[in-house]
Amino acid sequence: MRQRIGLLGLGFMTPALIMVVVFFLIPVVMTGFFAFTNMGTATGVSGGEYLLTPKIIKHFEAGDQFDKTTINALSSTSYSVSDAALAKAEKAGLKKKYLQEIGKRLNGKTYAKRRDFIRDLKKLKSRPRNQRALIKSTESFSQSIINKRFETLEGFKIALQNTGVDLQPVQTDRVIEASYTGWVWTTENFTTMFNKPDTWFVAANTVIYVILVLAFNIGFGLFLALTTFYLPSGQSAFFRAVWLLPRISPPVLYVLLWKWLTWDTGFVSTILGWFGMAPYNFMLGSVESAWMVVVLINGFVGASLGMILFSSAIQAIPSSILYASEVDGANRWQQVRYIILPQLRWPILFTTSYTTLSLLTSFEYILLSTEGGPGGSTNVWSLEAYYTALNNYSGNLQYGYGAAMALVLVTIGVTVSLLYLRLFKFDDLVSRPRIES
Amino acid sequence: MKATKTLGHSVKAAVLTTAVSMAIAATPSFAKDMTISVWAGGSNQSDSYRADAIEMAADILEREAAIRGEELNIKVEKKLFNDGWENFKQAVTLAAESKTAPNIIVTSHADIAPWSQSGLIRPISDYIDQDAWPVNQIYGNLLEIASYNGQLWGLPQDAESRPFFFWKPHLKAIGYSDEQIEGLPEKVKSGEYTLYNVLDDAKKMQDKGLVTAGKGFSPRVSNGPDYWQFYQSFGGQMKDKESGKLIFDKQAMGDMYQFFVEAAKMGVTSKTHLGGDWNQWYSEVANGKAGTWHGGTWHYNRYTGKEGLDDFFGNIQFTLIPAGNKKGRANTITHPLVYLVSNTGTDDDAAIAAELIAIASEPRLNSLHAIKSAHLGIGKEQANVGLYSGDQWASEATERLLVHANAMPNHTEFGQYWQIMFKGLEASWTGQKTVAEAVANVEAELKTTLGDNILIK
Repeated sequence: MRQRIGLLGLGFMTPALIMVVVFFLIPVVMTGFFAFTNMGTATGVSGGEYLLTPKIIKHFEAGDQFDKTTINALSSTSYSVSDAALAKAEKAGLKKKYLQEIGKRLNGKTYAKRRDFIRDLKKLKSRPRNQRALIKSTESFSQSIINKRFETLEGFKIALQNTGVDLQPVQTDRVIEASYTGWVWTTENFTTMFNKPDTWFVAANTVIYVILVLAFNIGFGLFLALTTFYLPSGQSAFFRAVWLLPRISPPVLYVLLWKWLTWDTGFVSTILGWFGMAPYNFMLGSVESAWMVVVLINGFVGASLGMILFSSAIQAIPSSILYASEVDGANRWQQVRYIILPQLRWPILFTTSYTTLSLLTSFEYILLSTEGGPGGSTNVWSLEAYYTALNNYSGNLQYGYGAAMALVLVTIGVTVSLLYLRLFKFDDLVSRPRIES
Repeated sequence: MKATKTLGHSVKAAVLTTAVSMAIAATPSFAKDMTISVWAGGSNQSDSYRADAIEMAADILEREAAIRGEELNIKVEKKLFNDGWENFKQAVTLAAESKTAPNIIVTSHADIAPWSQSGLIRPISDYIDQDAWPVNQIYGNLLEIASYNGQLWGLPQDAESRPFFFWKPHLKAIGYSDEQIEGLPEKVKSGEYTLYNVLDDAKKMQDKGLVTAGKGFSPRVSNGPDYWQFYQSFGGQMKDKESGKLIFDKQAMGDMYQFFVEAAKMGVTSKTHLGGDWNQWYSEVANGKAGTWHGGTWHYNRYTGKEGLDDFFGNIQFTLIPAGNKKGRANTITHPLVYLVSNTGTDDDAAIAAELIAIASEPRLNSLHAIKSAHLGIGKEQANVGLYSGDQWASEATERLLVHANAMPNHTEFGQYWQIMFKGLEASWTGQKTVAEAVANVEAELKTTLGDNILIK
């Protein structure tokens, strides 16, 4: 019997467990993993290949590890027709007749560029008539590894040897390291992050954002809960429903309404225009007004959660206590201060910690409204991480750096939750009632 | 077009079925069915030929194959992206990671550097004849822009340039004569008329009440290649030819930031102009609600189309972006889009994709796009295509602007540089930081993120 209940419980829990693993655990682990790489658009995610390019050669030129002769030999892209090359081409499966013609007419020639070689090949009668095949047929005549991709290190090493360039082991290592196109392990993301002045600016913005919106959420939620509590039930239900609207409307529409309200062509400016005021874009017009709009947009969404939780907690207070207080002559404020608020400690704790954590990671309303503007003044950490890793104008997506930013956020989130549990004495709240022990 | 094509396919299918049943004992015929997908970024309906030209090319290639006796069926899947370059590039990059990128990508040439490193794209020079038609008539400087690391990665899809615009009636109202207005492009080119003259004129327009405060000078409302033009106006260079490294010229960048700060201080533009609404911006500049502004050659379409400007040439004067000071020069940037072949699919797919791109770049086909979308042509021979040569805007803009245009560099780290540069501009323009602070910030950030990929002067 026990066994069956255990399994049943596990069965009920399974969907939740899967969700936690898929939507929380795996992303967090992946973030931790990405954070210590230099992954980005240029390196790709799925690993790399080996590719020596003229750009890398230029870097070598600037350093002092390679002398001029080695650089020249490495960077050569020449094509030479020789007996050895012809034999190699035959092995590669090129037609005999074609090779004979090349041998007869072009043997001994060297071309600085593939394009020049192709121009001469195009004059041969027995050449492949298909352009791609013609281009491919040049491969056996080149020793160069410039601009050629090698999937494996082994292949790259062999090709490097085949170029005939005499490299010291240190130099070979340097070429291999520089030619790798994929990502590598690094802690640079974190050093860069702490050295960038912008990091601290965005961090400060995030703190401002969380504190202001949190205060608004809790304060306004509490205000709504208390005021609706003292209203007749029909009216209070109506007001609660109205204040739920921001949460249940789709974010895109909700923010669009705010744009209509606050832009210089919007509702507020039109009304103020009747009194002779110049149109003003409150959403982007100044740093202060932008912050005000961001806090209000997020605040009204968040306040509804507080309102519902606080209202139900107030309803749960036995009415006899309230009646008794009225008999004792307590006024409304005294009821709130000495009866209601102390009973709300648990919901306030929950809402505060939950809202803090969700605010730390939420950026959708800022993205939809100010996009972090004007001038990055309402940019917050999570939005910056999103822009860095996934979405920016130049298409330069830095997964590694973005993940490092997200990892910092996860760490802060966990620390803050632990702190909250301490501060609000969570253990006391969930401890066994004394009367039962 | 689509209906004809479908009809064509069904006729072809019917013929094929009959043929197959009849010829089953004879030589076997091998039909080759391919699907080539093409995604075009930053494209609205007027840019439809970016994808349509590929479809037309497919039709031609099929016919060529049929003449050779081969059965080739190419299905072209087209997709235009018009919700920001951010989302387009995100879509392509993430699709490439899951090996589902489109075969042909129409995007900024600036993507070539990072995408060629990651292996997202294949060099088109492996598949097409660069000495043959139509590649041999494409402008050399545009092919240069489509090249990186000594390889040709794609073909230019269109060209454009980014001019400075003046609302002629307002210029007249502040005392310009017709001759002076006509001579303005020359004065800008020679460096006699500078960006600070623009601000003075913009102020005059506002003082006279021709435009409202903050609309005398109405820059682009979001990030774009345009802002590099102002850096060049003050003598900045983006890349060092010798070392191949990027260049951050502190003086030029500072002067450029200072210019926008001054503009906001004078009240000819607002401190929070960046981030404004594009639709509102278009309707203002095309209707004389802004005095001076800068934009792109393709704006012509929007002004004369959706915004209802009847007489473009009668109302608008266009010039290069004026020089900012003696160190700089009047300039304009061309930011051509390029057709790139992705690493999706087999080598055969890539070969077909490359051939389609080459055909789509023929002068007549490319002119369809150029004129429909008010872009500029990519090849010399387009001057001989009636549609192109008969269009006043295309020919004038080519003459006055394109010949002086330069492009942003192809460099793997340029994207990062760009982001950091723009952040500095935003911060100083809005007054979040002083110009000196912003420049110092940009310098610090460039040093930590780009290391020795950038020269700081």
